[in-house]
Amino acid sequence: MRVAIAEDSVLLREGLARLLGDAGFEVVARCGDADELLLKVNSYSLDAVIVDIRLPPTHKDEGLRAALEIRARHPSVGVLVLSQYIEIGLAMKLLADSADGVGYLLKDRIGDVQEFVGAVRRVADGGSALDPKIVSTLLSRQRPNDPLERLTPREREVLELMATGSSNQGIADRLVITLRAVEKYVSSIFGKLGLPSTGSESRRVLAVLMFLRS
Amino acid sequence: MAASAVPWSADSRAPKPLLLWAIALAGVAAAACSIALAYTSDHLAEPGLRAALIDWITLPYILAGLVAWSRRPASRFGPLMIAAGFAMFLSSLQWANTDLPYTIGLAFDLLPAALFLHVFLAFPTGRLERRVAAIAVAYFSAVGLQLVKMLLGGVGPDNLLAVVTEPTAANTVQDVQLIALSAIALAGIALLATRRRGSAMPRRRAVALMVDSSALGLVMIAALLLAAAFEVTMFETIRRITFAVIGLAPVAFLVGLLDARLARSAIGDLLVELRTDPPPADLRDAFSRALRDPSLTLAYWLPRFESWVDLDGRPVELPAADSGRTATIIDREGAHPAALLHDGSLDDEPELLDAVSAAAEIALENGRLQAELRARLEELRGSRERVIEAGQNERQRLERILHDGAQQRLIALSLELSLLEERLGADTDARTRLDHARHEIALSLEELRDVARGLHPAVVTGHGLAVALESLAAQAALPVRLTVGLEGRVDDRLEVAAYYVVCESLVNIAKHAHATSATIELERTNGQLVVEVVDDGVGGADTEHGSGLRGLADRVEALGGRLRIWTPRDGGTRVRAEIPCA
Repeated sequence: MRVAIAEDSVLLREGLARLLGDAGFEVVARCGDADELLLKVNSYSLDAVIVDIRLPPTHKDEGLRAALEIRARHPSVGVLVLSQYIEIGLAMKLLADSADGVGYLLKDRIGDVQEFVGAVRRVADGGSALDPKIVSTLLSRQRPNDPLERLTPREREVLELMATGSSNQGIADRLVITLRAVEKYVSSIFGKLGLPSTGSESRRVLAVLMFLRS
Repeated sequence: MAASAVPWSADSRAPKPLLLWAIALAGVAAAACSIALAYTSDHLAEPGLRAALIDWITLPYILAGLVAWSRRPASRFGPLMIAAGFAMFLSSLQWANTDLPYTIGLAFDLLPAALFLHVFLAFPTGRLERRVAAIAVAYFSAVGLQLVKMLLGGVGPDNLLAVVTEPTAANTVQDVQLIALSAIALAGIALLATRRRGSAMPRRRAVALMVDSSALGLVMIAALLLAAAFEVTMFETIRRITFAVIGLAPVAFLVGLLDARLARSAIGDLLVELRTDPPPADLRDAFSRALRDPSLTLAYWLPRFESWVDLDGRPVELPAADSGRTATIIDREGAHPAALLHDGSLDDEPELLDAVSAAAEIALENGRLQAELRARLEELRGSRERVIEAGQNERQRLERILHDGAQQRLIALSLELSLLEERLGADTDARTRLDHARHEIALSLEELRDVARGLHPAVVTGHGLAVALESLAAQAALPVRLTVGLEGRVDDRLEVAAYYVVCESLVNIAKHAHATSATIELERTNGQLVVEVVDDGVGGADTEHGSGLRGLADRVEALGGRLRIWTPRDGGTRVRAEIPCA
């Protein structure tokens, strides 16, 4: 898998490259700013990019704008955005149209190598990766007559994992249950929340997110 | 009292009250004497009417003269009027039956005419300037030629001065005398008419009245003298009318003074008017009304240019002494910021001038204080804005340092530990300790994040209010409905201020409101960024204590906006910030 990294901190950029290299990725570009990244995305055929949301020169929204542009112009390239803050507003902006091949993680997650590499791989494969913190914030959001209260604790766990973009297999591995059990939970959750069951795993991320957001 | 009128001053030549009273008494005695002479005269027809006409002039002239003299001791106008009054009395001595007073009376028969000319032409300053020659001729004609005429025996047998009896020569002298005097009177009328027409400024009513009655007096004097010269049959009628008219002038003068007394009641109105802090043009009109002087000009002193200017900024000259105009300078602590340029006749009313200039002083001082206050407020607003902005910039800088420094390093360290862990193999003890270290790093990062975030909400400056508010609403402790009616971005400072308004309001709601839901509305309307947070809680929020709301108000006000809070008991709380937004 070919990836590019855009991160202005040399320390992190090199660390990330090493980590991904060790995990079997081919890191074809290490960029210090958004313009460089866009250039590289145009010239190489990439599976995914990993973008720091705050990039030079202003350290405001250069990273996010680059991510959105890549998503618009190169739908086949997965985009994983890294940030030191979790902003639900930003997640919504990033996933406005689809959750295909997109991720938004807290930078801290890099420390958990397995999880992180798994997320990069999912995004590169056209799946999604949403930081658990975003999901838990959305889940704990106060809402009148909360339909989430109808879920069993286990169903809630499955919903949480589902919302982060985990595949059914991923959920099964994580919770140490069978794939069949996961599927049962998923259809039960959709039933209880009144959501139409959708095909792809990323489509259902979006459906769950929209539900949680409203 | 700081006001001072240039030509008017408390003069050392001021007449002593005793002298004034003595003159007044003498005047009354003279009037009584005239009446006595008239009634005892053996050669006077209609004594009552003649005496009344004489006293109609004597008494008002003396009275007006006394008033004028006491008001303006420096002016000769007062003594001149008193002299005219007594001259009138002197001429009545010719009614006496004995020869000496009769002769004296005859000698001064025409003196009043010359004096009236003098009075009318010298008004209002009491000085004649270029007309001195004319008045000298008038006095010569009235007294000098009269004596010549008497020496020639021209006025009857009982004249003690008669040396010869030359009626023809005496008649010629009399004709010269009368025609000269009437010519001067006519010239005087022309002069008054020109002055009245030529004057660019409207005159004060009191002055105009006096000038008009003077002109009328001159007309009648000329008519009377010509009637005498050409021996017109209606001479007696003309004389009565003339006397009646001449007596009007001092009455007009006194009426003018009374008018000025009434004018002082206008000071009250003036003060009321000044309280509303009128613009300069209205200020001038107010002074003009109070002084009853339509010609009034308000002049300001420009220290930098060392000159006086009017309201339109055009330079003005302070009037010279004796120009008929006077400047009353409003003085304040040695500085003279303004002057009232007004009709010279107002110098007769120093109390009125003092009162108006005191009011002017108050108004100007008031205006200056208000301007100063506005300047200070502006300065204060500016410094508050700078203080808040400086604080904001500093916090933003610190957040950057944490974000790009410590946080990145900790993340890199955590990554390093993870890579290390991969190579550890089966050493479970080492793994556990590494895990523990990573956990510690994660906690540190969490804490740092909170600190950095508290320092500066980077999401606001980075991604705008809409994104930032969405996160706030999602993380709120109660259901929040967010409505954003704002396209694009506005100034950073405004966004940060609005963000803090929402943030602080949500914190307050969570802590105190016991609310079940809240709404956040953000919109841009009428050049304002409006953000409103409403909850359905218990209301009655404490807006004074706890620095939260106060700090918000500071932030909003520093940007020229305002923060309003409605928090009725049991009625929920509404916090609304309106910030001007270009």
